[in-house]
Amino acid sequence: MTKRPPITNRVRDYRERHGGLTQAQLGEAVGVTRHTIIAIEQGHYSPSLETAFRIARLFGAGVEDVFGWEG
Amino acid sequence: MPLREASFREKSALAMLMLWLLVTAFYIVEMQPWRWTMHSIHAPMKPFVVATIAIIIGSIIVQAVLGARDPKEASAPADERERPILDKASSWSGTVLAVGCVASILHYLQHGSGDLLFHTIFLSLIVSAMSEFIFQLWLFRRGA
Repeated sequence: MTKRPPITNRVRDYRERHGGLTQAQLGEAVGVTRHTIIAIEQGHYSPSLETAFRIARLFGAGVEDVFGWEG
Repeated sequence: MPLREASFREKSALAMLMLWLLVTAFYIVEMQPWRWTMHSIHAPMKPFVVATIAIIIGSIIVQAVLGARDPKEASAPADERERPILDKASSWSGTVLAVGCVASILHYLQHGSGDLLFHTIFLSLIVSAMSEFIFQLWLFRRGA
């Protein structure tokens, strides 16, 4: 297993807070696949800046509210 | 992640790997009787023709079946996580093909069998294609 990226996220929390938005719905809304959302939530993949902004905006939050730096 | 939860691209890579493995097994078995006449220029063309047709038809069937099961994902372009994985797997498999071709050419220089060169390069192509699917599966599973 590859080393996890040092970026943490609260995508799952925000998703659940937003009426239980599914991973597929979130993925479709921001232009990635459901599997990419799964990888982001599990911390296996750090999204591009553009996708991070799209996710944060969808939740009406700032990027730093949704994503954090663990390093 | 269980297989049924795997993405379309993972399922596609796995199905294509299985298909290519079957074709490779057939090709190697068919070429086996010619193993001891490697310097001959009379290695048969039939395995090559059958393997090529099997790969073309098999690929169409595999993609059609997988596409019918999940048409939405099948028609979607690769996203930002998948693109680098596909590019990396393609690049690495290109290296595998190059190694196979160079080895085949060196063998040709040593033994001078153009017929054998043809078959070893074809085999290199098969190995390269299989390695691309293996790299894809590994990178998708690794979460790169």
